[in-house]
Amino acid sequence: CKKNYLDIVPTDRVPDVAVLADSALLEDYVINRYMSVKLQDKEGEGTNPGFGRGFEYALWSALTDESIYNNDDNTWLVQRGQLAPENTGIAGTIWGRSYRSIRECNYALNHIDSVVMSAGHRTQLRGELHFIRAFRYQDLIRNYGGVVLMGDKVYNLEDNLGDDALFTRASIKQSIDYAVSELDSAIQQLPLANDDSWQLGRATKGAALALKSRLLLYAASPLYNAGTWAAAAAAAKAVMDLGKYSLDADYAKLFLSYTGNEIIFARQYAIGARHVCLEISNGPNGYNGWAGNTPLQNLVDAYQMSNGKDITDPTSGYNAQNPYANRDARFYATILYNGATYRNSTVQIYTPGGKDSKDGPSNWNTTKTGYYLRKFMDDKYPIDNPWNVAGLQPWIYFRYAEVLLNYAEAQNEATGPDGTVYSAINLIRQRAKQPALPAGLSQAQMRDAIRKERQVELAFEEHRFYDVRRWKIADVTENVPAYGVDVTTSGGSYVYTRKVALSGRAFAAKHYWLPIPRTEIQASNNKITQNAGY
Amino acid sequence: QQSKITGKVVSGGESVPGVSVRVKNTTQGTTTDNAGQFSLAAGIGDTLVFNHLSYVTQELVVRNNAPLSVTLAATTQNVNEVVVVGYGTQKKATLTGSLSVIKGADIVKSPQPNVSNSLAGRFSGVIANNRSGEPGYDGSNVYIRGLATTGNNDVLIVVDGVPGQIGGMQRLDPNDIESMTVLKDASAAVYGSRAANGVILITTKRGKTGKPVISYSFNQGFSSPTRLPKMADAATYATLANEIQYYTNPGGGLNQFYTDAQIQKFRDGSDPLNYPNTDWQKATLRSVALQHQHSLSVSGGSENVKYYVSLGTIGQQGIYKHGATQYDQYNFRSNIDANITKRLKVGLYLSGREEDRVYPQTGAGDIFRSIYRAYPTVAAIYPNGLPTSGIENNNPVLQVTDIGGTNRNPTQVFNGILKGSYDIPGLEGLSLDGFFSVDKSWSADKSFSKPYPVYSYDATANTYNKVVVGGSAGLASLNQYQQNQSLLTSNIKLNFTRQFGQHHVDAFVGYEQSKTVMDSLAASRLNFPSSQLPELSQGGSAATDKDNGGKSYTFTRKSYIARLAYNYQEKYLLEGQARIDGSSTFPTGKQYGFFPSISAGWRISKEEWFQPVSFIQDLKLRGSYGTLGNDNVGLFQYFDNYSFSNQYVVGSNIHPGIDIIKLANPNITWETAKKMDLGLNAVFLQHFSLEFIYFQQKRSNILTQRNASIPQVSGIVNPFGSDPLVPSENIGKVNSNGIEATLGYDNSTGGVHYHIGGNFTYAKSKIIFIDEAAGALDYQRQTGRPLNTYLLYDAIGIFRTQADLDNYPHLAGAQLGDLIYKDYNGDKQITADDATRSKYGNIPEITYGIVLGADYKGFDFSAVLAGQTHVSQYVLPESGTIGNFYSSWADNRWSPNNPNGSYPRADNRASASINGGLYNNTFWLNNASFLRLKNVELGYNINADVLSRIKISGLRVYANAFNLFTITKVKDYDPEGGPTGSTTSSSGQFYPQQRIVNVGVNVKF
Repeated sequence: CKKNYLDIVPTDRVPDVAVLADSALLEDYVINRYMSVKLQDKEGEGTNPGFGRGFEYALWSALTDESIYNNDDNTWLVQRGQLAPENTGIAGTIWGRSYRSIRECNYALNHIDSVVMSAGHRTQLRGELHFIRAFRYQDLIRNYGGVVLMGDKVYNLEDNLGDDALFTRASIKQSIDYAVSELDSAIQQLPLANDDSWQLGRATKGAALALKSRLLLYAASPLYNAGTWAAAAAAAKAVMDLGKYSLDADYAKLFLSYTGNEIIFARQYAIGARHVCLEISNGPNGYNGWAGNTPLQNLVDAYQMSNGKDITDPTSGYNAQNPYANRDARFYATILYNGATYRNSTVQIYTPGGKDSKDGPSNWNTTKTGYYLRKFMDDKYPIDNPWNVAGLQPWIYFRYAEVLLNYAEAQNEATGPDGTVYSAINLIRQRAKQPALPAGLSQAQMRDAIRKERQVELAFEEHRFYDVRRWKIADVTENVPAYGVDVTTSGGSYVYTRKVALSGRAFAAKHYWLPIPRTEIQASNNKITQNAGY
Repeated sequence: QQSKITGKVVSGGESVPGVSVRVKNTTQGTTTDNAGQFSLAAGIGDTLVFNHLSYVTQELVVRNNAPLSVTLAATTQNVNEVVVVGYGTQKKATLTGSLSVIKGADIVKSPQPNVSNSLAGRFSGVIANNRSGEPGYDGSNVYIRGLATTGNNDVLIVVDGVPGQIGGMQRLDPNDIESMTVLKDASAAVYGSRAANGVILITTKRGKTGKPVISYSFNQGFSSPTRLPKMADAATYATLANEIQYYTNPGGGLNQFYTDAQIQKFRDGSDPLNYPNTDWQKATLRSVALQHQHSLSVSGGSENVKYYVSLGTIGQQGIYKHGATQYDQYNFRSNIDANITKRLKVGLYLSGREEDRVYPQTGAGDIFRSIYRAYPTVAAIYPNGLPTSGIENNNPVLQVTDIGGTNRNPTQVFNGILKGSYDIPGLEGLSLDGFFSVDKSWSADKSFSKPYPVYSYDATANTYNKVVVGGSAGLASLNQYQQNQSLLTSNIKLNFTRQFGQHHVDAFVGYEQSKTVMDSLAASRLNFPSSQLPELSQGGSAATDKDNGGKSYTFTRKSYIARLAYNYQEKYLLEGQARIDGSSTFPTGKQYGFFPSISAGWRISKEEWFQPVSFIQDLKLRGSYGTLGNDNVGLFQYFDNYSFSNQYVVGSNIHPGIDIIKLANPNITWETAKKMDLGLNAVFLQHFSLEFIYFQQKRSNILTQRNASIPQVSGIVNPFGSDPLVPSENIGKVNSNGIEATLGYDNSTGGVHYHIGGNFTYAKSKIIFIDEAAGALDYQRQTGRPLNTYLLYDAIGIFRTQADLDNYPHLAGAQLGDLIYKDYNGDKQITADDATRSKYGNIPEITYGIVLGADYKGFDFSAVLAGQTHVSQYVLPESGTIGNFYSSWADNRWSPNNPNGSYPRADNRASASINGGLYNNTFWLNNASFLRLKNVELGYNINADVLSRIKISGLRVYANAFNLFTITKVKDYDPEGGPTGSTTSSSGQFYPQQRIVNVGVNVKF
């Protein structure tokens, strides 16, 4: 027998030194940092999660007044105010996922200088790592407030994992400042544009600037109170000044593929690396869909009439018994309602008999709210048997409309509703074919208009949850019942009756921030300070 | 010169009928009559062989024509019986270790063809739970003395001397097995690093010198589920659907989904198209599935060459109507021993097997999930014959068939062993032996998924809308997988066995090495233009239609083994064993471990001074102590593992991405078990045998992952549902101890020979160290408690009135009909701090068995009862709008109309309900104790006189059964069911355990 009979070299894994010895492998490592681990069931369907929640079965939207997830899947507990450290539902994985990614970014940043590659390439990869690290902190900060800042430290198993340094939360301001400084590095180091050597899906300068704009907007908001509106406005302006981005003409198509000039940064998918097949997951039961994320009446009511007036305005022309006529174009692009045309047939939510109601097939899959989701749905994908075919829409992290809204909001707060505020918001309204905002709005009126615009423009894109919190209006908006609509018919006309779609909706002050999971508090031996109220 | 020889066979003073009497090396033979008398033609100097199942075979040379008187010893009392032990055999009388033996003849009494299912209840110290009855995957999980580690608890299987032989135990042909020995204590230390969880030694049959014996047996079995949950009917479910909607929107009343008139239609069946009432079990499952088994063997031999050759086949059907599930097995064995010279012997043992598994595209778990989820308010088949879309396009009636394609999974196993032994001249008792074995398995998987239509009825338009399910995007797809595995083992041993006066020495030193190689290859295609061409080459042609994968690993071991057994007058017994094991799983410097053991025995009954104690025939005290190891962990954990994981899309293509998948543990090494046994064996009052064992085990250096103690903020975060990032570390400590007791009684009276035995095992584990969070609450810690307990809220009732709600702490949003959780810490609120640990896990602390047997004239009867207690099983059904309810819940639920219900109110999804998955609680924890008739057999041996005229030397007909009846408190599923670990995610959706009734015939020529 040979002397080295017991020494076996594996063929499906390499040690760290091999990764650091090859710049191509290191780059492959950096690229996977745009994703992080799956941490619970019904998460990471198709591919591992990226930042935030993205396209999962239950969208993050299902935790807001935009929608409810028909099958619950641990979303109702948030809607019903039962969110607790031991019961975080779908909102329990951001903490662990973000810190794992941060550790991995730190590892690469600590070692990248020893890897043989061109200086220019190294700079770009560093920029990418700083961007990803900042993005992870953004995920943490907007959910938990001040967080533990790891610096460049890479903890290993042999380290003292009970170290106080692991459990000391920085203030919100310190946390934001750190993330912004990371972004400043990224802005310096990242290329301006994607091209053949820096393909779509990798962060650019614009992505870093857009994230900075969002962070500073949040920082200036009442819940955070950790920055200035002027800084937030300047950060948004910096994206606008790149001159690289503009609004796409078609709001509905914007969400179906990664093209045009509006998307600043998005996650792409491909056959073999898909996300949830949205059409079957969210489609009406009459189309064999599962009615996953169903819009609430609360959101439906936020869409203005096409004349630019709120439906609450007696002069708007809104008719509660013909409620879907003449609404904001984005309503039709976002929501499927009774009578809407979908895939060459008419959505029938009415009872008795409507195929998309409880009288239709698979009635357990009928909507509880009276609506189905339209946004993101791509009609070229099948509803039936979509596996390996559908699930390819990009998840947009940043698009230009958000930057314009960030700018309008920050500038209005900083200096009042000046012309730049109007032009930013009207660009968005113009694309939606809504009339421009009336001149002469007060700062408060403009604030109100901007918030409504954000609500409808960015619906289902993981903004509402954070917006109502940072504005500190969640104790109002999230304490309104989850409304839906009952549609009944007799003799060809429809009767619309508002109803409660999900009982027990509640929000307490503690819910402005997520609870740190109980397991984490226990692992820290109670050293991590839990968010107030939990 | 032949003459008539007569005689009588007795045992324990009673005559023994039915003993086969044969003249050695001839075809002449007969059977004793009811008085134990026999008569046959033989010559002086011939050797007669007396054979009976219950007695030790005896040979007698005919000296003269006088009637013979033959006394047979019952097998259970045979002091010269030899048992197989690690690397050798030993006399049962002088054993110092704790081991149990089961004979092949007993294994074949179980009509369940999976060998692992023959163990339950037969002897102490072995816990075998059969978790699934699916053909091809119907084995039991076998634990020796319960759980002893938080790591891997797998028992090492040694077949004909080859440790860890590929193919294992489960699929061996039971007819080929001579005996099985279970090493339960430190006597297993001779298997060193793999022995900590116990060792099962299997010995296959060999030829015996004599005329060829051809034996053929046929078994026809009838299999059906031991139990299935009764599900709610349509009218009940419709009412439940209304209630669920009511809880979501109380303002809408109790008829938001169905009117009372509609519910009546579900009830009366007047409109089967729109208001069906479907029993999905009845629609999907057949009442009986068939299985059959043929086995043919020929054995015999001359003085120098002996052979045992056999062929066998097994066929098992699934319990599905028109189901695709089928398990077929074909096996052969050829065990040949030859004496080349007086000193040199060789043996060549070849065996092979084909295991053909065919399943429908949908796996059994998903099929039963569909059966239990599918609503009774949905038809299985429309009145016009079209299949419905079932539950979310899963119609189990179709899923069980091959309409959606099949999953074929043939596996071939080959085992070859070449053995040799040589008596070294010059020193009496010195010999050299060794073997070289080649094991190989080829496992293929071809899964072709075909599209097929289901229909949903649109009542408004009166149309049936077709939906194509299966395949991908309406076209067929194919996944193919091939995994080859090989194990090469070589062993050489120098033995010394000799009697020096009163001193007996039996010793060896040996060297063994082995190499395991695994290779796999996977390929797939999507978008087949035609479903009729299920080959990879015929699939879609686009680049994105094709995918493939593969991996391999090599794994080596090196061992040095020694044993010295000594006894004085077979009275004082002493044995020492040691093994040095090296394994490539561990890094250089940590590869070798040392595993010694020592054992001793004292046969008190052999002492002169004990002779007056005449009612005790045999009494032995014994003890053993030793160190054993467990190395069953993932390979290559001693360095940071980086591996490609390609998912991120860059520029519209999936870019290669690499991840860290395992952090390094440069110090990884063996898990250590220190085992101590104290035992007593006795035979008393002629007919009683007793064994009593106290055992203790201290398991340390348990290879387990830190998880709970590592804060996620460190960035060391394990993924969900896949291999953890953190490596196994030698950190766990578990102590366990218990007792085993066996009492047997054996007698013959009036021609009836019978025996009855009872065995009992109590095995309790206690966690000394397990990774837990620093801040874990004392009463929630696993430390100090048995392995595998559940952490649950204590459900102490149901809120029935507003006053109940007002008077007791409850969860936010709790309502009438919800479970009351005990406010354990008394802080007036229900939080995670109120959950407590269950007393038991789902591996029983106590198991017991009763073994019965009797024979009278040509009849024989045997039975095994197996029981367990001190065991819990958590099952939360997947009920609500996601699936149907067990009747036990539906009929007893709290509802506004049934405020005295004993089950909580219905909720949208049990898994996300505050009465279920959100707050896992004791309401769903069942006492999984049971006593079941595991095995029973009644046989009849047809009189030899009749047979000899038709050249048949033996004919036996018999009927036997498996799991014939069960006594348990578990209502809705088989009490052996459920997942193997203690998890609270079990929803009872598994292929049910089977009750098998079998008839068979055995013919010998």
